Amino acid sequence: MKNFMFGTTAVLAMIAGTAMAEEVRVYNWSDYIDEGLLTKFEEETGIDLIYDVFDSNEVLETKMLAGGSGYDVVVPSGTFLQRQIAAGAFQELDKSQLPNAENLWDVIKDRTAEYDPGNAYSINYMWGTTGIGVNVAKVQEVLGDDAAIGSLDLIFDPANMEKLASCGVHFLDAPTEIIPAALQYIGEDPDSHDPDVIARTEPVLMAVRPYVQKFHSSEYINALANGDICVAVGWSGDILQARDRAAEADNGVEIAYNAPTEGALMWFDQMAIPADAPNPEAAHTFLNFIMDAQNMAAASNYVYYANGNAASKEFLAEDVIGDVAIYPDEATLANLYTVTPYPARVQRTVTRLWTKIKSGT
Amino acid sequence: MVNDTSFAPWDDPQERPLIRFQNVTKRFGDFVAIDDLTLDIYQREFFALLGPSGCGKTTMMRMLAGFEEPTDGMIELAGEDIAHVPPNKRAVNMMFQSYALFPHLSVWDNVAFGLRRESRDKDAIAERVEQMLKLTRLEKFAGRKPHQISGGQRQRVALARSLAKAPKLLLLDEPLGALDAKLRQATQFELMDIQEKTGTTFVIVTHDQEEAMTVASRVAVMDEGRVMQVATPEQIYEAPNSTYVADFIGDVNLIEGRAKPNGGGAYHINWAEGQAPFEAKSDMVLSEGQRCHLALRPEKVGIQPNKPEEVNAVQGKVLDIAYLGNLSTYHVELSTGQVIKAQTANTNRLSRRDFMWDDPVWVSWSASAGVLLSQ
Amino acid sequence: MGQLERKRGGAPVAMRRLTLITVPYLWLLALFLIPFAIVFKISLSDIALAIPPYTPTMEDGLWALLSQLDFENFVFLTEDDLYWKAYLSSLQIALISTVLTLLVGYPMAYAMARAPEEWRPTLMMLVILPFWTSFLIRVYAWVGILSSEGFLNQFLLWLGIVDTPLKILNTNTAVYVGIVYTYLPFMILPIYAALDRLDGSLIEAAEDLGCSRLEAFWLVTIPLSKNGIIAGCFLVFIPALGEFVIPSLLGGSGTLMIGKVLFEEFFANRDWPVASAVAVILLLILIVPIVLFQRNEQRQAKAEK
Repeated sequence: MKNFMFGTTAVLAMIAGTAMAEEVRVYNWSDYIDEGLLTKFEEETGIDLIYDVFDSNEVLETKMLAGGSGYDVVVPSGTFLQRQIAAGAFQELDKSQLPNAENLWDVIKDRTAEYDPGNAYSINYMWGTTGIGVNVAKVQEVLGDDAAIGSLDLIFDPANMEKLASCGVHFLDAPTEIIPAALQYIGEDPDSHDPDVIARTEPVLMAVRPYVQKFHSSEYINALANGDICVAVGWSGDILQARDRAAEADNGVEIAYNAPTEGALMWFDQMAIPADAPNPEAAHTFLNFIMDAQNMAAASNYVYYANGNAASKEFLAEDVIGDVAIYPDEATLANLYTVTPYPARVQRTVTRLWTKIKSGT
Repeated sequence: MVNDTSFAPWDDPQERPLIRFQNVTKRFGDFVAIDDLTLDIYQREFFALLGPSGCGKTTMMRMLAGFEEPTDGMIELAGEDIAHVPPNKRAVNMMFQSYALFPHLSVWDNVAFGLRRESRDKDAIAERVEQMLKLTRLEKFAGRKPHQISGGQRQRVALARSLAKAPKLLLLDEPLGALDAKLRQATQFELMDIQEKTGTTFVIVTHDQEEAMTVASRVAVMDEGRVMQVATPEQIYEAPNSTYVADFIGDVNLIEGRAKPNGGGAYHINWAEGQAPFEAKSDMVLSEGQRCHLALRPEKVGIQPNKPEEVNAVQGKVLDIAYLGNLSTYHVELSTGQVIKAQTANTNRLSRRDFMWDDPVWVSWSASAGVLLSQ
Repeated sequence: MGQLERKRGGAPVAMRRLTLITVPYLWLLALFLIPFAIVFKISLSDIALAIPPYTPTMEDGLWALLSQLDFENFVFLTEDDLYWKAYLSSLQIALISTVLTLLVGYPMAYAMARAPEEWRPTLMMLVILPFWTSFLIRVYAWVGILSSEGFLNQFLLWLGIVDTPLKILNTNTAVYVGIVYTYLPFMILPIYAALDRLDGSLIEAAEDLGCSRLEAFWLVTIPLSKNGIIAGCFLVFIPALGEFVIPSLLGGSGTLMIGKVLFEEFFANRDWPVASAVAVILLLILIVPIVLFQRNEQRQAKAEK
């Protein structure tokens, strides 16, 4: 859907491009925007929007660190943003061009300032949690009606996973999300940077890896919605989108999302402008457009992720603002943790561990 | 030519032929390649299948080799019907027109190829290969690959390879076609020599009548899937049985006329209104007024400035002179418009040539010089 | 003759020969040696959180550049069994799929070469036709065919051959299917070219000399199509060895291929120096078959002269 949208936009942009119109190139996560906003932006500003998508922070970072990506706006998550700022990948935002920045929500700004001090380089687009999506009926069929669908036990207890393998389990292909969860499960600090501590997750993950059908960061939305799999460890909004698609398809698949009761990872996706962006002014225009309360609300209503825009709340749909899976209550919020980027040496340990978990070698 | 005049098994009713084609027909779809053909070939013969391309001679050879099966009829080899025996089960080998040498094998291995299929005795194979290489004078080239030797050498490798298994019958498909004229002549004699030494029956397919005449003990002249005449080269030349054969082999004057028996095998041939008839002798019985041809080889026709004392003499003028070095052929136009070719040996130098263009001359021949043909 | 001409030809001929020789070397320099030198240089560098993500770079000056390069990353590759296991597994997968492609491709090439003359252009077209579609889409199509809900399993279930869907997608079997499918034309075309040139009378000669059909095939057809077979095998083996798209789309988490490892190093670890070291070693592994292939081609060209 998004790809199709991107396609048409790109073609339109190409045709318009012959007139040397102003353009802005945006590189965002897949399934992460209401495509109506893209056309609305073009209509309002007259700027051609070229919209491209990715599904992993790692891929984005590779492009950022290679330089010359050609994008004007990119959307890394907090920890990755922090690394890339340190590498000099982004330019400071010109707040004078961003009047809508006043709409931002202080609570979220305070948290994102950990990654981007003073929020000098980025604005928050969406935030969410990493949790467990289940096909309720199938999981209950396999594990019984009292299955602990909201607990990390579901995905880290080999006894459960062995049974779930028959109906299909996907994990995110993102070590920086799964390893903290595994650390949390064994009672360690999820943000630990100690390689020895991190190594303790290996037996946990190796024990369940044979039952994981695939490590992938975007396929699970459709797989869950179609009933091809019954459990996905994924991002809150993606799983809620799967729930929505299943409901639309009316295929009898009922999806539920839970942030694990043991505690869940809270993450922030930040919009930033690469240091070598070809169209920094248009990029600012795009950021300002996104920070418009109604636009931001439209995006959230579409993708089921909470945003960092206080002013948008009044425009949010009831099933978004009222869903604790999206906008957690105080109790849940207290149960969320955040992580910080790994130093290069630890990063290698983490990735190597991840390769081992995925390939068994 | 086979010098041993006593070698004529086809005249011996006791002799059993090595190969018998009996009423063989081969059709490709609607096209009849071989039409109800019956033919015997005897042991130790060097038999030539001669004819223009498309006459069916190659099809006959391929049926002998086993690459084609006859549609009808029987092909016997040494008394056994081989019509449906596959090529690898026949005591017949073939030398291909393209030689079909295996490019990935050395000369030695090419010759050994067939031997290895039937025997595991390495020493015996080696001995036989050496023998064949010696026979074809290829010892020095044993280690070379086919692309490293000359055309004539390749031809000899092909021959050695096809002879190695000592087949009852060796088929040669235009074996000399790829060689130049001089090498071809030398190789013809070599082939005859090898045939005699090995005692193998050879069947050669060729469109070159000179080659057939040189090497063969008997020649079968073919046309449109039929054998027109099977005979020794001498008979084919001197006594063709049809205008087709007479015309195909060598140069010939064909004069059409009507026969008038004169008794004792002598005939008058009325060939043109108001002209004296020609006299001819023939073993054939022709009825009064039967249409026939008088076939006359140019070398049997004399040419003189004055009327000679010969039974057949007719006047004309020189239309054309073909100088062939040792011979000259004169094309003499008669008053009837017909042209008769006369050949003379050039015993004199050119400057003293006897006749020039438009000279009035007489051409003449004896009563027995020509052959009467009814078909 | 040749000698004489060369002498008489003099300078212009020599110039032309020089140009003819130089062009392919320039090509090699621009498209192979220079990129290789860059990759090799990165493989000797250290990872850094910077743009580009390694140090030293050209900006540090030549001396700093040279003094900071070392073989640390290559040593690292030997310390972790992941890498040599991935190389070995890639070799194994490439080898097996090359053999499978040969087994599928040879009969097809043979049938094409034996087909009536007027059919051959059409058959050739059919072999080349898949190239008109994106490689990615063609590989992705196999996801639809091989998945447990896919066409193949539905067909097998419908036939009653299996009761539960076969698990093919996300296994090495699917990778073999993908590689064989994708590279089949590279196998068929050189073999077809060799068989097409094969003189039919050679087969007849072999039969005439006592070979059965099978023996003639084994003793004549196979050896004479050897160059085609070798060319085809290399054309399949070399790209299959570094293949990334097919194992990542069709392979499972257990499919270990160096192309995937390379991708992981580059995109997940963002460790360009180690990724480059992996690439350099892969290239060294590839150079052996490429040189062998070249030599085979040259020998063939010489033999044809």
